[in-house]
Amino acid sequence: MLKIVNLQKKYTTDEVETTALNGISFEIKPGEFVAMMGPSGCGKSTLLNIIGLLDNPNSGEFWFLDKEVSRSSERQRADLRKHHIGFVFQSFNLIDELTVQENIELPLIYQKLSGQEIKERVNEAMEQMQIAHRRNHFPQQLSGGQQQRVAIARAVVSKPALLLADEPTGNLDSAHGREVMELLSALNEAGTTVVMVTHSPSDADYAHRIIRLLDGQIVTESITERHAARVLSPEF
Amino acid sequence: MIKNYLKIAWRNLLRQKAYSAINIIGLATGISACLLIFLFVQHELSYEQHFAKADRTYRVVNDLIVDDEIEKASLTTGGLAPALKADYPEVETAVRLVNADKQAVSVSDDKVFYLTNSYFVDSNFFSVFNYKFLSGDPVTALAAPLSMVLTQATAEKLFGSAAAAQGQLVKIQGESFKVTGVLAPSGPSHLTPDFFASMSSLGNEFMQMMEGEWGNTNTYTYVVLRNSSQAASLQAKMGDFFLKRVKPAYDQMQSTGRVDYKIQPLLDIHLTNDWLYELSPSGNQSYIFIFSAVAIFVLLIASINYMNLATARSAKRAKEVGLRKVVGAHRSQLVSQFLGESLVITLLAVLLALALVELLLPTFNGLTNKSIGSSYLLNPVFGLTLLGIILLIGLVAGSYPAFFLSGFKPVDVLKSDKAPRGSGATLRKGLVILQFTISLVLIIGTVVVYSQMDFLKKADLGFNKEQVAVIDIPSGDTTLTAKLPLIKSEMLANPHVTKVSASAQIPGQGSGVLIFLVERNNAMVEKTMNMMTVDYDFLDLMGIKLKAGRNFSPDMGTDQSSGFIINEAAANLLGWKEAVGKRIGFSDTTSGKVIGVVKDFNYTSLHDKIAPVVLRVRPRTSGYLLARLSADNFDEALAHVKSTWARFDPNRPIDLTFLDESFNAQYQSEEKMLKVFGYFSILTIIIACMGLFGLTSFMAEQRTREIGIRKVLGSSVLGIVMLLTKDFAVLVIIAIVLASPLAWYGMQQWLQEFAYRVPLSPWLFVSAGMVALIIAVATVSVQAAKAALLNPIKALRSE
Ligand SMILES: Nc1ncnc2c1ncn2[C@@H]1O[C@H](COP(=O)(O)OP(=O)(O)O)[C@@H](O)[C@H]1O
Ligand SMILES: [Mg+2]
Repeated sequence: MLKIVNLQKKYTTDEVETTALNGISFEIKPGEFVAMMGPSGCGKSTLLNIIGLLDNPNSGEFWFLDKEVSRSSERQRADLRKHHIGFVFQSFNLIDELTVQENIELPLIYQKLSGQEIKERVNEAMEQMQIAHRRNHFPQQLSGGQQQRVAIARAVVSKPALLLADEPTGNLDSAHGREVMELLSALNEAGTTVVMVTHSPSDADYAHRIIRLLDGQIVTESITERHAARVLSPEF
Repeated sequence: MIKNYLKIAWRNLLRQKAYSAINIIGLATGISACLLIFLFVQHELSYEQHFAKADRTYRVVNDLIVDDEIEKASLTTGGLAPALKADYPEVETAVRLVNADKQAVSVSDDKVFYLTNSYFVDSNFFSVFNYKFLSGDPVTALAAPLSMVLTQATAEKLFGSAAAAQGQLVKIQGESFKVTGVLAPSGPSHLTPDFFASMSSLGNEFMQMMEGEWGNTNTYTYVVLRNSSQAASLQAKMGDFFLKRVKPAYDQMQSTGRVDYKIQPLLDIHLTNDWLYELSPSGNQSYIFIFSAVAIFVLLIASINYMNLATARSAKRAKEVGLRKVVGAHRSQLVSQFLGESLVITLLAVLLALALVELLLPTFNGLTNKSIGSSYLLNPVFGLTLLGIILLIGLVAGSYPAFFLSGFKPVDVLKSDKAPRGSGATLRKGLVILQFTISLVLIIGTVVVYSQMDFLKKADLGFNKEQVAVIDIPSGDTTLTAKLPLIKSEMLANPHVTKVSASAQIPGQGSGVLIFLVERNNAMVEKTMNMMTVDYDFLDLMGIKLKAGRNFSPDMGTDQSSGFIINEAAANLLGWKEAVGKRIGFSDTTSGKVIGVVKDFNYTSLHDKIAPVVLRVRPRTSGYLLARLSADNFDEALAHVKSTWARFDPNRPIDLTFLDESFNAQYQSEEKMLKVFGYFSILTIIIACMGLFGLTSFMAEQRTREIGIRKVLGSSVLGIVMLLTKDFAVLVIIAIVLASPLAWYGMQQWLQEFAYRVPLSPWLFVSAGMVALIIAVATVSVQAAKAALLNPIKALRSE
């Protein structure tokens, strides 16, 4: 799916230079579910944004779907995002002026799809996330958990191969958080590669693998118990 | 995709009602101002266009040069047209027009009307000016003497309808004219006829005098060239016309004068101000320029509001931009989305503007003396202009916010609800300064024009123009003028009518220039000067002061034939230290003498320096009857004057005006400018303040947290209002500094049009600046106070 080699990212603001990522290398295979953990400010979001092609690294290689994309133009990155990547954010980031249905539609209007196909896909995503009954509501009229389900529906409506989630449960209570994790897990089981940033060990447990960061560097990579159990199970 | 954009645009429009209202109302006002000015300019440029041969029709005008004084006159001599036609093959047709001004006409004994513009023209006049005839034949209508063609309006006034007029008789000065045609209303033209009559009606004697005497200039001459490309060569060929054709006649009259003939394109007449004796007031090119500039400024100020508010509230749109990018929108797609939004807003503004134009058109017509109807909507040029405005504002004003907003990076904006730092604040400040600079230039302009007008009205003219009723004596009625002394004494019978006088000219109505022979070094030399013919009571009634010598007196029998009074300017021109007793006259046979010198008085408008004028006395002059009425019993005195006049002239309606009003009418075009300046400066300041209002509310919103913290730490409401207001006040003060020299320069230029002008005191600038500052600060503090009064707990929670 993607491969990162010796990635560097620096921010320069007001003559202060921050090294957000310092020599990161790893690989993620199709169908994997990877969690990234680490203290605040260690570079998780920065790494996720680079993986999501929202940002370019300063140096290093980034192979996405067997192409080197670390120096690609804004336009090329937009096209890759449009077709292959879905995003879920901690703060949902729904557009307040659009209804649930219209928010979910958003990624599809930038693709050349027929009105009929858009409708079908949006309905499918809404059914899957169990929010079809709220299709004509505006975001402010929904609970946090419902809003995050809308955000996930929007992320998967274009059937991306890679789903990125930055602390998707950070703004939710534990019950709603669990609900969201179940949904991500189900999507992963259906074939979507998932990369998730989280602070919660229980959320991280849903993943196959955990990458731990500190000060812009990878400190450990480990396989989760749940995954280890599955790998060892006979039917795997 | 478009549907999604429109949905967002529409919902944003509804959600941000104040914001949308400021934008749409501001833009609509700017656009309607622009459209009105467009209609005005288009009307000004459309003069004569409807005449089929307009592009190859020319008016012949001339410089009349006597003793190195040049009079640029549109009136020419009657012999010019036939001579041009005979001498130059380029001339296809030459026609003449004699303006007989105001005439009393009657259709029966008890129905008398005044017609103001009585044109006597050659029989082939309509082959040049192809008016549309409702009835009658243009070719033959004026072939016979005593035939006349009425305009539709005149026909309706005289006979009730255009159809009823054809073939009827109309009496003018005792002669019966037959109506041989009625004209349909036509487009704007320097010709503003009430009727055309055949020139042959003026009689053989007049025609011979007109064509034979080259010194007489009472005719307008128009020529149609075979081809408009011949104009320059014809002008060159006409260089020796004076020598060949006119000089011999001048020599015979022993005149040393000279005439330079020029051909002037018909299409240029309306917007040229160079020539005296125009048939109708000319347009003013500089006003067209000023009006257009002002309209564009209003539009600019409204567009700036749009740009400023759109970028100021960018924080609100940042998340949306980031999200659309995350899901794969290209920047170009976002740019077109935002441009689309500004087009929608512009479109709404244009619709509102069209309604405003329709609403304001009558007022506007009154202001500009025009009669523009709703038919402009069908005009393709108007449609194109509208389209141009939509694209210009929608795209130009929309492009800055579009490129600004679409440039946000999702990684930056999705982290918080804040727009990235330094989001166009500097540019916004610059644009606010620009808005207020423009507004201030207009406000200062208005104040200067106003004080100049006030100065003109209150200036000491050297005569007293208040409380003087002026009756226009119908020309050519010798029985009436013979009774003038009697009428005067009957009017004076009422003690509240304090003085009565008759004169051929009155201040503000123009006076004829004449060539005088005056004494210089014991010889008589020619000199062109203005002349006024007055009666014995004129100086007394007007309150014109004598400086030397004496007033005209009926006791001196010789005053009528040989007594002249001159003004100081004339004495200076002629170099006479002791003017009384000097010789002056019309030809060397008269032995005229100066009997008195009067102090200079402004008998023309204050645009011009007081020119030399010579007064002569005639007790029974036609022209005007003046009556000075006592202020205390004004109404009674006026009623007495009216009833006395009606007894002596029972058949015609009385034509009574007041001297101060008719004198001030000379400043009509300035009054118009004052109104336009006034309206537009109010408009610009309102629109600019609407923008400030919007900006302050967004700024207060962005600084809610800061305001909350300051309040928690003990800052007073006033302190916070000051904090928010200070920034904007600084911008307005910068604008004052920028606008003052600009306005000073511009108004200095404008004041050059006046020989007598109000001094430009710095107080004008200070007070205009203060007004703008107070309005701006008031606008801002209302919003600032709202933010400052918010409960700080609430403010701090909102983050
Ligand atoms: N846009 C930016 N400009 C400057 N510094 C940044 C920016 N974004 C992140 N950083 C810095 O980079 C480091 C990593 O940030 P981030 O990836 O957001 O950490 P995390 O998501 O792990 O909390 C931090 O020190 C942060 O201050
Ligand atoms: Mg983070």
